[in-house]
Amino acid sequence: MTLGVDQPWMLVLLPLVVLPWLRSPHRRTAVGSIAVVPADHLSAWLGHILRGAGALTIGLIVLALSSPYAGGRTVSRIGTGAQLVLLLDRSGSMNDTFAGRTPAGAEESKASATKRLLREFIGRRPHDLFGVAAFSTAPMLVLPLTDHQDAVLAAVNASDRRGLDFTNIARGLGMALSMFAADRPDEHHVILLVSDGGAVIDPHVQDQLRAAFARHRADLYFLFLRTAGSKGLFDTPAPGEDTPQAMPERFLHLYFQTLGIPYHAFQAESPQQVEEAIRQVDALERYPITYTERLPRHDLTGWAYALACLPTLVLLAAKLAEARITPQPQVLAVMSPRRRKAA
Amino acid sequence: MTPVIRLVRRNARDPRTLALAAALLLLLAAVVVPRLPVTRDGVRVLVVVDITGSMNTRDYIHDGAPVSRLTVAKGALRDLLSRLPCPSHLGLALFSERVPFLLFEPVEVCRDYGAVAGAVDAVDWREGWEGDSHIAEGIFGAIEMAQGLDSDLVFITDGQETPPLPLSGGPTFGGKAGAVRGLIVGAGGYGLAPIPKFDDRGNEIGFWGANDVQHENHFGPPPPDAESRPGYQARNAPFGAEIPTGTEHLSSVREPYLRALAGQTGLAYAHLDDGRHLARALTAAATPRPAKGMADVRWVPGALALAAVLAAYGLFPARYPRGFLRFVKAAGRWP
Repeated sequence: MTLGVDQPWMLVLLPLVVLPWLRSPHRRTAVGSIAVVPADHLSAWLGHILRGAGALTIGLIVLALSSPYAGGRTVSRIGTGAQLVLLLDRSGSMNDTFAGRTPAGAEESKASATKRLLREFIGRRPHDLFGVAAFSTAPMLVLPLTDHQDAVLAAVNASDRRGLDFTNIARGLGMALSMFAADRPDEHHVILLVSDGGAVIDPHVQDQLRAAFARHRADLYFLFLRTAGSKGLFDTPAPGEDTPQAMPERFLHLYFQTLGIPYHAFQAESPQQVEEAIRQVDALERYPITYTERLPRHDLTGWAYALACLPTLVLLAAKLAEARITPQPQVLAVMSPRRRKAA
Repeated sequence: MTPVIRLVRRNARDPRTLALAAALLLLLAAVVVPRLPVTRDGVRVLVVVDITGSMNTRDYIHDGAPVSRLTVAKGALRDLLSRLPCPSHLGLALFSERVPFLLFEPVEVCRDYGAVAGAVDAVDWREGWEGDSHIAEGIFGAIEMAQGLDSDLVFITDGQETPPLPLSGGPTFGGKAGAVRGLIVGAGGYGLAPIPKFDDRGNEIGFWGANDVQHENHFGPPPPDAESRPGYQARNAPFGAEIPTGTEHLSSVREPYLRALAGQTGLAYAHLDDGRHLARALTAAATPRPAKGMADVRWVPGALALAAVLAAYGLFPARYPRGFLRFVKAAGRWP
């Protein structure tokens, strides 16, 4: 059980608890000499109790003002999931349908279908850490890895807006990899690359990417949204066409296979196939993942106020029972030699 | 009447008894007082950050070192996040070329603070997809985007159009002025400063020179005074024959231009300083979005109870020394 306060600055008032030793709420009675009054243990104890009650009252009220609570600790738990970066193609062609047309009526663009299915996917994986990156001409870090699902959904929601120009997959992958911690074999990193076009990665960048994959260790899922009539990942080349420039998708696929990482490619030609591919990713990426959970908090402010009532009641009772000491005639007689003579 | 009751009665007249009784009642009130329903005004805002080259100009000073406009903008935004009243929603978009690019739709900043702050930190000029900055078009696009998201707008830019606006004037706003409320935030200093130049790999290689940039836009019709320009010829040199010179390779915040754009679109204008100023300007310009919340008011009776207990202990003296009273009177006469 952990205890804490929300307004710790209120605790600067705590030194006020010494006040009962400096001042008293009770009436002062002037006594000629303290030696006149015999030592009285009961009175001494009463004095201690009243001072303690005063200190307790002040201390508890100050504590209550600082809003104390119990619990609220974050605990680490092990669930199933992974650290997953969604790397989304935001080039203009993603806004067309799988048939390569501008969506009309009830038709769904590639970006909208992906968005809808990714939202379901995220909802099914409560313990994953999600990050979102986008790429067109330049890579864009949309959201760093986070467990705030609302923010991830808001980022995915924005992914079917009007896209930009080109498809620069290599720089996008570099960006996605940089979002993971390097050299952490205990974490499971996954990149889900969603794109509708291949791109030629120049040999120099190929080597850089290979090194980055070795450093950050990430599984790669390539969800290729194939538009009707365009080239696919698994096409066999016609004679004389087997070059990266003529068939960028095929060469991208071949390059990914040489990375030496777990790599899966899915070629989807309809929203149904996208759904099937995402379902497979969901099934494959189930690893132990440490996630944090915040335990519920219990507010103790009310208890502190209630507890403060008890010593206040004691103080009040003491105040009401205060006796008025007026010197008794015998005492006066003792003190006045003339009276003694008279007696 | 028994002596005990007489005693209690007499003691009850003591002001310190009254203070303790008041403290007890106030404490009981603090225990039972419920949370009060209140409405709080949050904001819902789309923040668009200009990430074009001129935003790298280092014309802010922070801790004695020059810092870039983009760095200041990010710092101010982070600070703004923690200053927004809960519940507030914030979405983020980048601006480059001529359109805003939405990163995420408005999310609750109090609940998802870490995620939003992380995204703000990650904003980088290297994410820019093209070098141009058609600011007016960007602002018009951002207004449309904000309208679609049912939110207000904060557009952070230095106002430097690249290439410069055609001599025939910039684009005109087609929407309804004031339909979207918000701020145009001008980033940059008021004096001209050099703009850093970067190579293809993002390494800084000096500053833009006068001959590296376009100083005049020859798109569209020539200006009316073109005939008076040296070397003017209607067919071969409609803009005059001289190579235009200017200060487009240097940058300062183009405040008059941004103010004009703000006036045209019904937005407010503010200069970018820090998160505190930004928060104040935004709350003044934004549409208040009342949200129901519960307020904990137990501290009111609690604080009063503490004051009563302290009074019972005589912490607030009933009689002040004469010098103190004279001081209070003198202070009262002070104009």
